[in-house]
Amino acid sequence: MAETLPPSQMQSPGAFGAYVRNVRDSAMSFWEGMSVTLSYMFRKPITSQYPDRMPVSVNHTIPARYRGFLEVDMDICTACQACERACPISVINIDILKGDGKTVPKLRMERFDIDIGKCMYCGLCVEPCPTGAIQHTREFEGAVMHFNNLTLRFVPDSLQPIPAYKPPKGAESFPRKPLGEITRALVKKWDEPPPAFPSKEEAAKADHGKPKAGGLDVAAMGRQLAAKALQVKEDKPKLQKVIEEAMAGTDCGDCGYPDCFGYSDAIAQGKDFSPDKCAPGGADSKAMLETILVSLKTGVVPAPAAPAPGAPSGGSESPAAPASAVPAEAVHKGPPLAQTLSKDELYKVVLDAMAGTDCGDCEYPDCDGYTKGIVYEGQTDLGRCAPGGEDTRTKLYEIMLGTKPPPK
Amino acid sequence: MQGFLDNLIRSKGFDPATWQYTQFVYLAGMAAAAFIVINFAAITAGIFSWAERRVAARMQSRVGPNRVGPGGFLQWVADAVKLLLKEDLVPDEADKLLFRIAPYFMMVGFACVFVALPFSHRLVVADMNIGLFYILAVTALIVVGIIMSGWSSNSKWSLFGAIRSAAQIISYEIPAGMALMIPVLLAGTMSTQGIIRAQGGWPWQWFLFNNPAAFAAFFIYFISALAEGNRTPFDLPEAESELVSGYNTEYSGMRFSYFFLVEWGNMWVMSALAVTMFLGGWQIPGLSPERFDALRGGLGVVAEVASLAVFAMKTLFFVFVVMWLRWTLPRIRVDQMMNMCWKYLVPASFAGVLFVAAWMLLVNAQPWLGYAMRFTLTALGAVSVTLFALRVLRNIHDTGDKFDFTSNW
Repeated sequence: MAETLPPSQMQSPGAFGAYVRNVRDSAMSFWEGMSVTLSYMFRKPITSQYPDRMPVSVNHTIPARYRGFLEVDMDICTACQACERACPISVINIDILKGDGKTVPKLRMERFDIDIGKCMYCGLCVEPCPTGAIQHTREFEGAVMHFNNLTLRFVPDSLQPIPAYKPPKGAESFPRKPLGEITRALVKKWDEPPPAFPSKEEAAKADHGKPKAGGLDVAAMGRQLAAKALQVKEDKPKLQKVIEEAMAGTDCGDCGYPDCFGYSDAIAQGKDFSPDKCAPGGADSKAMLETILVSLKTGVVPAPAAPAPGAPSGGSESPAAPASAVPAEAVHKGPPLAQTLSKDELYKVVLDAMAGTDCGDCEYPDCDGYTKGIVYEGQTDLGRCAPGGEDTRTKLYEIMLGTKPPPK
Repeated sequence: MQGFLDNLIRSKGFDPATWQYTQFVYLAGMAAAAFIVINFAAITAGIFSWAERRVAARMQSRVGPNRVGPGGFLQWVADAVKLLLKEDLVPDEADKLLFRIAPYFMMVGFACVFVALPFSHRLVVADMNIGLFYILAVTALIVVGIIMSGWSSNSKWSLFGAIRSAAQIISYEIPAGMALMIPVLLAGTMSTQGIIRAQGGWPWQWFLFNNPAAFAAFFIYFISALAEGNRTPFDLPEAESELVSGYNTEYSGMRFSYFFLVEWGNMWVMSALAVTMFLGGWQIPGLSPERFDALRGGLGVVAEVASLAVFAMKTLFFVFVVMWLRWTLPRIRVDQMMNMCWKYLVPASFAGVLFVAAWMLLVNAQPWLGYAMRFTLTALGAVSVTLFALRVLRNIHDTGDKFDFTSNW
């Protein structure tokens, strides 16, 4: 390109000058442009060849607070199920086996599944965990051929339940395994075949959500504890110990007290009358605590209930059953709380039974108004709490009348 | 080629002029040569498709295909297998006969070039005395194939692409032909081997540095060859932003692969022609063609392989330059393309031919002028290459980066 023309081709000085200038300009821009592109030829490409040709594994380059797959260290899990309750989309599934705390551990977990295919990595389960057993790891590679392989089973065999960890009182740190180790071992290879569909025998063996034979007899243990409680009625520290036995003992703090001691002490001191705050204990703890509370009030241990036909025979409530299905003995255990408590105490209990959303659906301005209406003003319609639904209605009938609510 | 076959027949004790089977031996030799040449063309085109992607990636700070085979080298085999196995679709409204045969026209026009293209001192299918003329003539078959494919596809994009391509190739034939006349003038022959023999192994013996007009003619030829091969910045016929893919829009499978085989194979053709005409071809520095002819036995084979390597290295360098240009320059407009051809390249090439004719008379009278000009131009070329290399290094260092050609392949 860089060339001049013989003068014979020149038409006018201006045109020839422009011609030469154009040729020179294009030669110069080639020079510039090609030196730039060639210089990139001799630089290191910026591409990261994920996943197999990385200078450092990606898991080491992502930040420490990255929210990857969840991991549970079963060795320090207290089985409080706070994570299960915290999960907004029910990704975590925990099945609990209960014992009396003497011959068999009080809480054992026969299932602890986290479906990371459904997990949205919000981290809400990590926050309430009292021991830091559940944590986000930096694992994130979840490409699999079979979706079922994305369920991490932290209890490998449901026939060998893992006992809950009892954290030492006042402990601030817990011996956790290095983060990521457990989950890495559980994450399947991408082409792993799906888990086998369980046969009938296996399904029968696992049998999630049904009462276990040889489980805890809640009614019997409740009466036992109530009898003990009556003996030590005046000795508050001892009473507190008896009451604490009815709780799950995970120190999860879900009841609003720092630990089980706080809750049981409040009940023993007569500051708290709600039997249903122990979330890990669920319906079992609630039933036992109610038995104790009623006994303390009336001074009599309630008589064993005649097993209602069709009612769960062992009395052990499964955590999966709806909370509104109040055990039979809770209904037949003597006079309703409305007759045993003072109006002010009754007010607290009734308020507790409500959903507490202050929605105003009950035609009172808030929950406080409805409660006052029931306790002080003789409101007899107990089915107005819409957010609480059947659960609250059952509780209110039980508290005010001591009966099951009539079917709607 | 014919001489080789004649010698073969003589070594069996027959006279090629009178033996009755001579023509059959010639036919077999032609078939063998065609087989070898077409396979060479297809395989280099395939390898260039991989090389181009690696070069493109590297120039864009990427890695490129690097998984199939060592460094991704077998990627082109995988792609070829894929293309061959795809459905060969013929549009319902197409002119079916023309649509089907168009790719073969392109293939034939492209493969025929290799008949006259030299590879080394002795390795050439046919050293014709009109070699260059033949090459320019058979290349025109490609235009026929392109127009045929564009017309028969019965699609706007294809037709636009084909017409642009025809306009472009026919326009650029003129400067390309005129620029190639300059080495022909200097060498006094149209035989490709003859033109190489007229040059020498050292850069100052190349026609590139013979005189300013020859120097310019090299660039004119190279630009025109880019345009004839539909390479960037002259890839208007397949401008994907306007024409989807131009004349090959409606093609698929094996027929589609022919178009790309021709495009990439053309990179070898244009580079080999540039090396033959301007850069001394297979000439080994310090070994004159006459001494080369006299070499016999093992030394002759070594020299032959060395000349093949020299030719291939020069050609591959220009293949790289073609790729390099593609990732440097944007596509130009149709009017710019025409402007460049008719206003710059055509007059410059005509002027160059006149200048060279005058220059040869002048050098004939005053031989020292020729030597002085050769060494001056060679020195200028060396200085330019050095300055360019320094500029590239400075571009790397100015951005805080460092020279690194080996990592992250």
